[in-house]
Amino acid sequence: MLQLGSALIPVSLDPCPEIEAYKKDVDRTLLRENLKLTTAERVEKMISVLRFAEEVRRSGKKVDAR
Amino acid sequence: MTDFARLLTTLVDAGVEFVIIGGFAATAHGSAHVTVDLDVVYRRTLDNMTRLATALAPLAPYLRGAPVGLPFRFDVETIKRGLNFTLVTSAGDLDVLGEATGGGTYEALLPRSEVRALLGLECRFVDLQTLIHLKRAAGRPKDLERIAELEALQQERLSNDE
Repeated sequence: MLQLGSALIPVSLDPCPEIEAYKKDVDRTLLRENLKLTTAERVEKMISVLRFAEEVRRSGKKVDAR
Repeated sequence: MTDFARLLTTLVDAGVEFVIIGGFAATAHGSAHVTVDLDVVYRRTLDNMTRLATALAPLAPYLRGAPVGLPFRFDVETIKRGLNFTLVTSAGDLDVLGEATGGGTYEALLPRSEVRALLGLECRFVDLQTLIHLKRAAGRPKDLERIAELEALQQERLSNDE
């Protein structure tokens, strides 16, 4: 059986230009709203978005099938 | 659609030792992105691998993307011989990892994790700093946007604490 280590491999956490570029477009209002929620509420919110996306996908399939 | 509650209940009720990483952990920390699968790092002890195999058996785990009919049994011998498994189950997509990129074994992640309550369960999530570390270690271009959001989240948390 594979023997695994118990330490993380060091990774640079210095600012990276590509990440900084994306950071400018992060909608922080969404993050601030999420931070007001409990973990359970954040997960429930994400699942409800998934359900909605699934519903949209299903209705799209019905339209395509016509 | 992945039934996160069923997957987590299955693992927790069976006493499987695992740490949640990936997009679902990002959600728990406040990410606004949506994820379609559950990624967990499991402890590679014989007892835990046995619990993992037994717990998932009723969910008919199969290798995601593998041709139909390929002989595959997610049992303790398979887990011992392998490490990371991307599975499709009757409750949705589940990635069970012995080690996440960047050295993220269960032992490495345990001190960098926190227990959070959700869906009526107590689950262990990797902390935000380590989630960023793992994403950076993976070095995938598709993760750059996610890392940017996680780092912004970290900044927002810090400014809340001030």
